[in-house]
Amino acid sequence: MSYALRRLVHSFFVLWAIVTILFLMFRLMPGNPLAAYINEQLTEEDQRLIMVQFGLDRPLYEQYLIYIANLFQGNLGMSFFRREPVWDVLKSALPNTLILTISGLVMAYVFGVLAGAWLATKRGTLAEGVIVPIALATRAAPEFWIGMILLTIFAFTLGWFPAGGANSPGATYASEWSRIFSFDFLLHITLPALTLALYLQGLPLLLMRSTMLEILHEEFITMSKIKGLSPWRITLHHAARNALLPVVTAFALGLGATLGGNVVVETVFSWPGLGRVLVSAVSQSDYPLAQGAFFLISLVLITLNFFVDLVYGLLDPRVSHG
Amino acid sequence: MTSLVSRRRLLLTLTSAAALSSTMLTNQALAQGAGDPIRKIILITDTQGAVPQAFQAAQLIAQAWRQLGLEVEARPMARQAQTDLVWFNRDKWDTTMWRMVGRPERSDPDEMTFNLFHSSTAPRGFNFVGYNSPEYDKVAEQQRQTVDPTARKALVKQAQEIVSRDTPYAFLVHPTTLQAFNQNVFDSASIVVQKGVGIRNFWTFIGATPKGSQKAIIINSGTALQAIHPLYIAGAPDSWINELIWDRLVRIGPDGLPRPWAAESFKFVDDKTVDVTIRGDMKFHDGKPVTIEDVIFSYEAPLTTDKSPMFKPFVTDIDRIEKTGDRSMRIHLKRVNAAFATTALGRVFIVPKHVWEPHLKSVEGKPDTLEAIRDPINVGSGPFKQVRARLNEEVVLERHAEHWAAPKMERVILRVIPNAEAVVGMVRSGEINLLSEYGGDPDVLEKLAKDNPAIKLTQVTDVGIEFMAFNNRRPPFDDAVFRNALSAAIDRNILVQAAWSGYAVPSVSHVSPAIDFWYAADVKAPPTGINLAKEMLQKAGYVVEGGRLRYPAGKKEALQPPG
Repeated sequence: MSYALRRLVHSFFVLWAIVTILFLMFRLMPGNPLAAYINEQLTEEDQRLIMVQFGLDRPLYEQYLIYIANLFQGNLGMSFFRREPVWDVLKSALPNTLILTISGLVMAYVFGVLAGAWLATKRGTLAEGVIVPIALATRAAPEFWIGMILLTIFAFTLGWFPAGGANSPGATYASEWSRIFSFDFLLHITLPALTLALYLQGLPLLLMRSTMLEILHEEFITMSKIKGLSPWRITLHHAARNALLPVVTAFALGLGATLGGNVVVETVFSWPGLGRVLVSAVSQSDYPLAQGAFFLISLVLITLNFFVDLVYGLLDPRVSHG
Repeated sequence: MTSLVSRRRLLLTLTSAAALSSTMLTNQALAQGAGDPIRKIILITDTQGAVPQAFQAAQLIAQAWRQLGLEVEARPMARQAQTDLVWFNRDKWDTTMWRMVGRPERSDPDEMTFNLFHSSTAPRGFNFVGYNSPEYDKVAEQQRQTVDPTARKALVKQAQEIVSRDTPYAFLVHPTTLQAFNQNVFDSASIVVQKGVGIRNFWTFIGATPKGSQKAIIINSGTALQAIHPLYIAGAPDSWINELIWDRLVRIGPDGLPRPWAAESFKFVDDKTVDVTIRGDMKFHDGKPVTIEDVIFSYEAPLTTDKSPMFKPFVTDIDRIEKTGDRSMRIHLKRVNAAFATTALGRVFIVPKHVWEPHLKSVEGKPDTLEAIRDPINVGSGPFKQVRARLNEEVVLERHAEHWAAPKMERVILRVIPNAEAVVGMVRSGEINLLSEYGGDPDVLEKLAKDNPAIKLTQVTDVGIEFMAFNNRRPPFDDAVFRNALSAAIDRNILVQAAWSGYAVPSVSHVSPAIDFWYAADVKAPPTGINLAKEMLQKAGYVVEGGRLRYPAGKKEALQPPG
């Protein structure tokens, strides 16, 4: 229990450090939010009023204290340009991003784990010689390139899938859930999720393969073979279970990292998600919105990291917290 | 593909021509002695990723200026950093690529004529280059005060002549807007081309007639919206939607000139008094009638309170408004403003008083403004009403059947599509049927139209301008001869071909040929050429010594290149 508590305090400290860096980073960047307001009729007085409205006329430390105090109350502030609470803006983009990220990751990890485990048993064969380079190549290829290729083939040429967006133009649904579970949504998410999966599958595949290779040489595997168990049973039940540990960590961290790193896929497929909100907020110097988006991503990442640390001990008793 | 090849060939010819003439005038007239060598000039440009055309043009311009003996560094900057330097540090830069984008209200030349070059806007406003000419100021003020169009036209022309002579900017091009629509969806005859704006305009939205079963106009925007709000000014796509939901007294017609809209008529009784009569058959989307009280409220909210700061500038010329009848009002102006119909009557949206008066009360005595108020469903009296708005994704509007000019199409759907290549695919598949903006390669679009006869491309010259701004405050750019010579060294036709792939027209002044009523066609572009530029410099006493251009005799270099 004391371990969990220590980890929790540690996580809070990390979060505070991130929040502070975020706060300073945006204010030290060249440019200020007024630049997006340039207007031939904007007088000096108007400019001053905008700064007052945004709270940017106050000294930096005061802005910082207000920011931290608000954060503790769960208030991420108001977006400078959309004049809406930051949380409302993020809330509308979050479901799309979560669903895209999770579908992509799950596809990548299910395929990667199975293919990695299988490949480990095919050491030195032709299959290894062909599949490993392909996995490496898709992992190394830029996401936008994979995305454009998929678009060109499946949307522009074959016309099987739409070229972008999360729903057909003007489609109406009774609720957010019926939208997400509609066939139309499935059609729209297929290509972006596939792009993400192709990009992400390399890590679990190679990680699984190399961990499996190590484990397959361990004594308990030899023991299982002597016991006369089938090779399939040995691979899945004995070796793969043990090889999964590092993959679980990679999955959890991957979820956090991909959440904010979806900008490219979201842009290529015009997917209305968090990544695009983030990019436009940064380019407009919409400090509260950009900070809020980064904060949310950090929060997810740190939380997942925390739980993985805890779960790790349960999955593998050898990991001690002494 | 063809234009790509020709672009490369042009670039080649340009660089080889550079070598030829570089030493021609170097050795003449050096004996009298010369001033200091001119410092390295920093030419700021947008990054290649952000505005590839401007980036390419900047490279070509830098190349041309080097042939004059200048040391030039073309320095790409991110938009934020560029704005911060150029706008907020006005004495710290030399030259920069800059642009004024086209907007319907810029169809009146006042904004470009007055704001860009009047000396009063130099310290903080739009005259960021610091151009200062009492002669020009006078003409700019006069055109604003001359209500008679013919007399005003002569003054606007005079302004164009002075600007063309003094070259506060090197005007480069007016870009061409490339758009497209699907002829299987719309009756081609019902698509209206608005001067300087193109086919994505108010008149198309209400006039477009369906040909088949598709009853929705589906348009695209590369950027997300920020706010659908009658008192908030955000990006371009926001304004496309706003002007469909809320009506205005006056709208800019396809000819670029203001015409009565919600106002049945408006009349200047004298230079400072305007009588307005509104239509009697207007209804808000919630069914309530539009009254003269609503209209007066819409103008008084920004005028008499500080709760609508973004719209305040449009009404600053108004002294007071009096109701003169059930459907009429009289506007008294503080000063004469010839552009009043466009810049005030054509800007302010009519909002329902029964919705916004309570909002106004709710922010009284607080630092908040009306701009922060969000109505879940916006109520206007325009030809379309809001159904749904997901600002990162799509906005859906449907026709307001009770509008006196009800649209023929059932819906307008705006899709936010940041990927320019995907947009082409969507035009082909029908996911978009009216391409309202396009940032990709024009050749790709041309090929699409060639392969699909249903897709019709349209082109209009923009009201906007691309230019090279000289910092008129800093030597040597404070010398009009120097600015003229630098401008003369730029071949606009090469820029059009090599940087804008043919999708632009050379620019002479701040008034675009798109607004032909105000454009002075006989203000011709001054002749250009490297040798001509050299002669101009030489006549003014600038000399080239050891390959470096120097100031005229006795002039010292007091400045360092910007850091």
